[in-house]
Amino acid sequence: MARVKGDIFRWVMLFLSSMILLFIIAPLAGMALKTGRNEFFGTIADSDVRNSVWYTLRISFTATIVFAGGAIPLAWIMARKRFPGRKVIQGIIDLPVVIPHTAAGIALLGLISRDGIAGQAASVLGLNLVNNPAGTALAMAFVSLPFLVNAARDGFASVPEKLEKAALSLGASRSRVFFTISLPLAWRNIVSGLVMMFARGMSEFGAVVIVAYHPMTAPVMIYERFSSFGLSYARPLSLLFVLVALVIFILFRMISLERRVKKTSEADD
Amino acid sequence: MIEVLKLEKRLGDFRLSDISFNVAEGEYFVLLGRSGSGKTQLLELLAGITLPDSGTIKMDGRDITWLRPQHRNTGMVFQDFAVFPHLNTFDNIAYPLRTRKIPESEIRSRVTTIAGGMNIGHLLFRQTGTLSGGELQRTALARTLVIAPRLLLLDEPLASIDASLKDDISAILRNLNRAGQTIIHVTHDYPEALGLATKVGVIHNGRMIQKGTPGEVFDRPLNRFVARYTGIRNFFRVKYVKEGNHWIGVTAGGLRLKLDGGKYASEGIIVIRNRNVRLMTEPNVETTWDNTLEGKIVNIIPAPYGLEIEISAGERIFAFVSERSRLITGLKEGSVVRFSMQPADLVSLEGSNLHDSD
Repeated sequence: MARVKGDIFRWVMLFLSSMILLFIIAPLAGMALKTGRNEFFGTIADSDVRNSVWYTLRISFTATIVFAGGAIPLAWIMARKRFPGRKVIQGIIDLPVVIPHTAAGIALLGLISRDGIAGQAASVLGLNLVNNPAGTALAMAFVSLPFLVNAARDGFASVPEKLEKAALSLGASRSRVFFTISLPLAWRNIVSGLVMMFARGMSEFGAVVIVAYHPMTAPVMIYERFSSFGLSYARPLSLLFVLVALVIFILFRMISLERRVKKTSEADD
Repeated sequence: MIEVLKLEKRLGDFRLSDISFNVAEGEYFVLLGRSGSGKTQLLELLAGITLPDSGTIKMDGRDITWLRPQHRNTGMVFQDFAVFPHLNTFDNIAYPLRTRKIPESEIRSRVTTIAGGMNIGHLLFRQTGTLSGGELQRTALARTLVIAPRLLLLDEPLASIDASLKDDISAILRNLNRAGQTIIHVTHDYPEALGLATKVGVIHNGRMIQKGTPGEVFDRPLNRFVARYTGIRNFFRVKYVKEGNHWIGVTAGGLRLKLDGGKYASEGIIVIRNRNVRLMTEPNVETTWDNTLEGKIVNIIPAPYGLEIEISAGERIFAFVSERSRLITGLKEGSVVRFSMQPADLVSLEGSNLHDSD
């Protein structure tokens, strides 16, 4: 009897888990199956599409690298320093994840439009941030920064403080300790955060569409094709972009997996 | 060489207070204390990793209290070694040299020389994750010694090493000291301290409660905590009475212990080391020894290098015998034994020390 009960439990767990996986796979697989070969390759051949995909990857990559310059120090402070208001700051860091991205776009637009502080500052330099790659980059960064900050913070927190103290005692300055001990030891988490930020940034639609409709990123182009021409016209581009994202994701997984395997096999020696 | 004066540091609920001591050139100073007694924090203050709230640290007459670690000429070896896991042995040892912008060719020769001396020359290009505890400790020592610090600070250097390798590392430390290296070594393990120290300090609840030569500290513990710390199990709370020319300590259990000379308060605590409780091997022989008593063995407990004998004689008294003498005398639980405690070996802890908790 007990055995039958245990079996039922297992089957229920298995069933519920499969439903969730199916829920993720089914729409994507359906999209792939419904897209004809000719349509798909026709889309790849379309230079507007190719430019848009490249543009999206390029801008998200740039945004990730530029913002990492501040996000990594912020992550280090959050991991190492105890100060009043630390929890509030952690809440602020997580804010972009919980607010609607269209609202984030509106807020950002207020800042970078000609009336906004950043917009005025940029216009002094002869720059218009709205409908500009810089605006797109800002929108992408705004919604994807928490992924990098939190991953890097966990990375720094996992570095034993004793190693940093040892480096100090060996005569290293605080900045040297950061660059030769803390950063290399937190590097895996930081890279993982960078990839997540990049992936999240390139997929962003809500904030980007409000701040910069043009030049068109791939998610905006998908939306435009859908609203102007309908589902079947938007599908091949969607599939292409999903595949690009998947390839990047899988490559990253392979790299990090390979490093982990290497590390464990070293430890086994 | 190093003078510490009235050092204070508050760390959360814990505080180091009124820490003062001197260590002379070439001395091996062992700081004894339990975990949480503040001994690691004290080392970090000396190394400059943290700064004190007040007090001064002088090295060779120069005030170094507020100097950054890189300007102090101290080297610290951490508990659990703190060897950098992302660098190989060579790069670990080269770390402080690269920090000092020493030319790479000189780094190579200095690392190779010191690694040879530490017997890790063959491990230089191994990832440190593959090293044993003893090898890691040698790496950590080499990394600290490669800059030839004036003062070497060691935090529990033997605690994380297999028992079989402890003698090796102890020998390295002893030889370093003999070659003139001044060392401050913190540990919770008093036999370790005995084996290495030329001077001992006992730290408890953030205070230095006794310091002196190992002989002074271990034979004349100032209070109950130090006594217990150094392995003494025999404590008697006594009332002191004067009888004729000498003083007697009377225990709650009615034992009357004759004491040597001096002047005593009304009450206090008497301690005696286990090995100073002398068992009489031939029970019926007359003796002129003072404080000869009789009791029943209630427990025989294996101890390092012999046996601890617990005797019930009004008070519980712990004696020490070698395994060999037990075989000869045939002592067993339940046997009645005579034993003596010489007045010279009875140490009285008096006055305020009475209230010192452990």
